[in-house]
Amino acid sequence: MITFEGVTKRYRDGTTAVDDLSLEVPTGAVTVFVGPSGCGKTTSLRMINRMIDPTSGRILLDGQDVHGIDPPTLRRGIGYVIQQAGLFPHRKIVDNVATVPYLLGWNKKKARARAMELLELVGLDPAFAGRYPFQLSGGQQQRVGVARALAADPPVLLMDEPFSAVDPVVRASLQDELLRLQSELRKTIVFVTHDIDEAIKLGDTVAVLRTGGHLAQLAGPATLLTEPADDFVRGFLGRDRGIRRLSFISAKEIRLSPPPGDLVLDEDGRPLGWRSDGGPAPYGTFDPETDSLRAALDATLLSANGTAVAVDGDGRVRGVATREALDELFAEHAGGLRGGGLPGRDGDSPAVDGTPGDGAAGDGATGDGTAGDGAAGGGVAGQARAEA
Amino acid sequence: MNGEPLVRWDWIARNWANGGPSAISTLLTGHIVMAFLPVLLGLLVALPLGLACVRWRRLYQPTAALMNVTYSLPSLVLFSIFLSVTGLTQATVIIPLTFFALAVLIPAVVDGLDSVPDHVRQSAVAMGFRPARRLLRVELPVAVPVVLAGLRVATVSSISLVSVGALIGQGGLGNLFIDGWQRQFYTPIVVGIALIVLLAVAADGLLVLAQRLLTPWFRARRSA
Repeated sequence: MITFEGVTKRYRDGTTAVDDLSLEVPTGAVTVFVGPSGCGKTTSLRMINRMIDPTSGRILLDGQDVHGIDPPTLRRGIGYVIQQAGLFPHRKIVDNVATVPYLLGWNKKKARARAMELLELVGLDPAFAGRYPFQLSGGQQQRVGVARALAADPPVLLMDEPFSAVDPVVRASLQDELLRLQSELRKTIVFVTHDIDEAIKLGDTVAVLRTGGHLAQLAGPATLLTEPADDFVRGFLGRDRGIRRLSFISAKEIRLSPPPGDLVLDEDGRPLGWRSDGGPAPYGTFDPETDSLRAALDATLLSANGTAVAVDGDGRVRGVATREALDELFAEHAGGLRGGGLPGRDGDSPAVDGTPGDGAAGDGATGDGTAGDGAAGGGVAGQARAEA
Repeated sequence: MNGEPLVRWDWIARNWANGGPSAISTLLTGHIVMAFLPVLLGLLVALPLGLACVRWRRLYQPTAALMNVTYSLPSLVLFSIFLSVTGLTQATVIIPLTFFALAVLIPAVVDGLDSVPDHVRQSAVAMGFRPARRLLRVELPVAVPVVLAGLRVATVSSISLVSVGALIGQGGLGNLFIDGWQRQFYTPIVVGIALIVLLAVAADGLLVLAQRLLTPWFRARRSA
């Protein structure tokens, strides 16, 4: 466990990077520091391995004040992944990964064998071992960065915006990879990002920091979405909080109905579409085993008749989920959703509270047009108005 | 000059190794010593000075300014100044040329260390390198391509500048120019130019080779 006790960092020019930060980073979980630039998230991270020392306050690593530990010794026991990977350009990939084992005095053979293991762990072809960093893509370099951080098997991993310099597709795969690794390794990870979606995806706990180094909120991602502490956090979380909150509810909980007769199937039991006069009409599917309630809701919106098709891993129909079945689940999770979570609730009460005449008159054609489509009609219309 | 060939090979044969101080081979050896020693000395001085300029940034501007002023002085002026100290010896050429080499090499070392990307330096710190090891194992190796580029410039210009020392009698192959000029006899001049150019090309080639061997990661980047 990493404990921040009233940690403040003030620079000589008078700027305060971190202001009286107190929080606990639990062992074996991912804690994300997120916030806009200048919120002190990277400074906070770097105080853990003493790349920066606090002006006041203490940071404890499993109860021991890091200030009493010789910095290089401390750092060799803490993995570190930096933006742009920070690989040593003059060293082959295998030696880059073996950096900390070399520093710890392992012999070359053992260090390289360990490096090869790690390349495999992060999903890199062993053929990369003999190459130089410039010969790898940004995403591959970042995987090497993660492998290097894990080389000496440190219990703690610090990740400083590690995925922000790669394109969105690669970033998503690196995030999935990190979650997979973490489910195996159970490291204590502190992850810094300015991307709230990344924070919500990766964090077991999310610490939202605001400019000037104040902790605005510390909560699990689902709680954060439903119960943002203040306007700053609400603004930082952005749109669609209610919809995004559904990502944390498993679709397994949805009550499925048997497939109705008007769902056309092929001989293997895979859906072809809804029966209609003009040929099979569009449908949406979700896999209750792996998907979230958000995916199921999305599937109802994609289906011509508003009923989502539940499929198994092979794409075979297991049943269907009606709007009513989803509604039951929304109601069940209303506790979590009540705090302003349902789309359209925040600052948009006239439209929801049953004075549609006023709302429509005020909002004009855009509001009316949008309100017509989809299950979350009120919500979508609310969003449209908020933007207009 | 009438009917006189540009190069008289028999003169070259007779004077290649005639045992005297004006033998071409002797002049060549002297030229090599006076050209390379300043670069070597320059590098030895430029490394710590360059490191100091990176460590204490405010040192760099005055150091660079001083070096540039030195570089702007005609070499002959410097030779004359040192003539009164070190007399008609090779040192009178070597010392000023060392300053010229420094003027190129100090910025090369500073630029080389500046060329180490910040994320590379930061990650070395975060991995747990201590400062000395970080310098030797990460920062200096990554700086090598830029330092070597400076070293090539310093070497070639040093080879060329030694000739000016002929005006104080210590010019290595440059002495051949004086000789040829005084006698209106072109063979020594042609020999001097040819050998200086060959020397420069060979030295530069060796440095390029060294760069390829030392920094395969850099060569590959350029060809990629």
